[in-house]
Amino acid sequence: MKKLDNTLIIGIGNNTRQDDGLGWCFLDALVKNGFNEEKLLYKYQLMVEDTDLIAKYKTVFFVDANKTALNEGFLIEKLTPSKKVSFSTHAVPPNQILNLCETIYHKKPTAYLIKIEGYEWDFKIELSKKASENLKNAIKAFIKEF
Amino acid sequence: MNPRKIIIEPVTRVEGHGKVTIKLDENGKVSDAYLHIVEFRGFEKFIQGHPYWEAPVLVQRLCGICPVSHHLAAAKAIDQLVGIDPENLSPTATKLRRLLHYGQVFQSHALHFFYLASPDLLFGINAPAEKRNIVAVASENMELAKKGILMRKFGQEIIKALAGKKIHGILAVPGGVHKTFTKEERAYFLDGIKIPNIDTMIDWSKEIIDFMKNYHLENAQWIDNFAAYPSNHLSLVDKETGALELYNGRLRSVDFEGNELLNIEDIEYRYHFKEAVKPWSYLKFPYMTKYGSANGWNRVGPLARLNTCKYITTPLAEIERRIFKSTTQNKPNNMTMHTHWARLIEMLHCAELMKELLLDNELMATTDLVRKGTPRTKGIGIIEAPRGTLIHEYHTDDKGLITKCNLIVSTTHNNEAMNRGVRVVANEILSEKPEITEPMLNQIEIAIRAYDPCLSCATHALGEMPLIVQLKDYQGNLIDEKIR
Repeated sequence: MKKLDNTLIIGIGNNTRQDDGLGWCFLDALVKNGFNEEKLLYKYQLMVEDTDLIAKYKTVFFVDANKTALNEGFLIEKLTPSKKVSFSTHAVPPNQILNLCETIYHKKPTAYLIKIEGYEWDFKIELSKKASENLKNAIKAFIKEF
Repeated sequence: MNPRKIIIEPVTRVEGHGKVTIKLDENGKVSDAYLHIVEFRGFEKFIQGHPYWEAPVLVQRLCGICPVSHHLAAAKAIDQLVGIDPENLSPTATKLRRLLHYGQVFQSHALHFFYLASPDLLFGINAPAEKRNIVAVASENMELAKKGILMRKFGQEIIKALAGKKIHGILAVPGGVHKTFTKEERAYFLDGIKIPNIDTMIDWSKEIIDFMKNYHLENAQWIDNFAAYPSNHLSLVDKETGALELYNGRLRSVDFEGNELLNIEDIEYRYHFKEAVKPWSYLKFPYMTKYGSANGWNRVGPLARLNTCKYITTPLAEIERRIFKSTTQNKPNNMTMHTHWARLIEMLHCAELMKELLLDNELMATTDLVRKGTPRTKGIGIIEAPRGTLIHEYHTDDKGLITKCNLIVSTTHNNEAMNRGVRVVANEILSEKPEITEPMLNQIEIAIRAYDPCLSCATHALGEMPLIVQLKDYQGNLIDEKIR
């Protein structure tokens, strides 16, 4: 089993809306690849109280579906905290969660956003073919790099 | 000066999407003001044809903030369809549902106070818009923000432990619950190892009430008078004692002076209430039939509950209730901004109740979780949701398929009250002013925000958060526009 002691991986999305489930499918794929499940978190959206959670980790990955085109079908980018506020109680962007974490807990986990391009968003529990392909490539790259 | 129309759309830091229109006459005086609820989803219709047991699962999708309230109100109604009245539910099932409910009220009140309302209180009504948010609160009062986050988290963890997940989980099934509480789950909330424990929640609830009392002392002129107006107040109360009751009780309404207007069995609500409709809002206007739509509307929620109940059963919250009531010489409190204070007293009450239940071994019983009686074709479930009295009613055919559904959501009861608040504030701050400033418009929103309206629940959808203000002349021509 591949242990993720100081690392948390958060899959964001909704697997009943086709490619919006890419974040969750990424976590499923990690489990199949032997990663320990305790450090994999499935979420519909990020909320303010997730600040408390990520403050406990050295490294955090956020994995989410992306509606706009990405060159390789996925992109892994390093995140920096954002002071911009587009606050809703229903969803908070990862970079704002990082900012809150730094402000309240004085913790700066190294954070990455893994964007995976999706195409279909209907009421269905199945990824589109192209999104599945992007997912495979994203998993390969993640395992290779990290 | 020509007559003008001011539109605030959408209203910010509330749950959902609303719009305010304020009309100014040729002298710049407010001639009318409305809060429009401009969403429509129609859950009452599309639940029809579904099997009755799906209701507690489906209808909670109305909302991402208070799904537990809808889940439990629907469950209480569905219990009756399988022949079980609230009194006949097993003690363990009742206690588990109550614990879930108190966790929900606790987290929802924490969310509203710390994330939505506290910027107005901490920074004042004239603070720049970019400062009125939780990030600014965190920057200037880190400890307050941290406690707010952890208090909300505690309530959500209770929900997760009982319902499987924090949002749209499932605990209740027709006639009971599908799971019990384990020793390990209980220890999580008592030992304080992984999260601050329930005693800490009680301590922090007391601290935040102290903060509010000090705030009141320093800002009495504003907080006592802003958006204040007389009204009726409605909530459930304990059937025997008249104490504050959030899960199961009688419906009681009092007028602004404390005269009792209504005291009925909850399931008789349909004989005592009607709902009016107005062409400019999707949100209905409930009122007590006997008193008509002009005089029969109620406020609901924390302020109303502290006005209708005779006392609070938990000791610390009761001490705070007495202090709260002393500000009005034990008469009903009609000061809208005191709703925040009442909300915090309820948080303390819920924390105390959660502790009682967490220490109750009956919570961990593994038998007698579900009961069945003689099936019926009508069920009515009423609970006190965080924002006020929540009513679910379902009718079924002989196959158990839902034929009719009626939902009166807390925010719906507060519809007239919120409109009244908008008019009061608009009259005070906008009439005959040469310039309409952004802080002035924020005050309109503060009057609405005090009710913690869940516009998503009341009609039901999510909305974006920018503020657009348009000035129009009496013919509807756009004169000026500001976008925040």
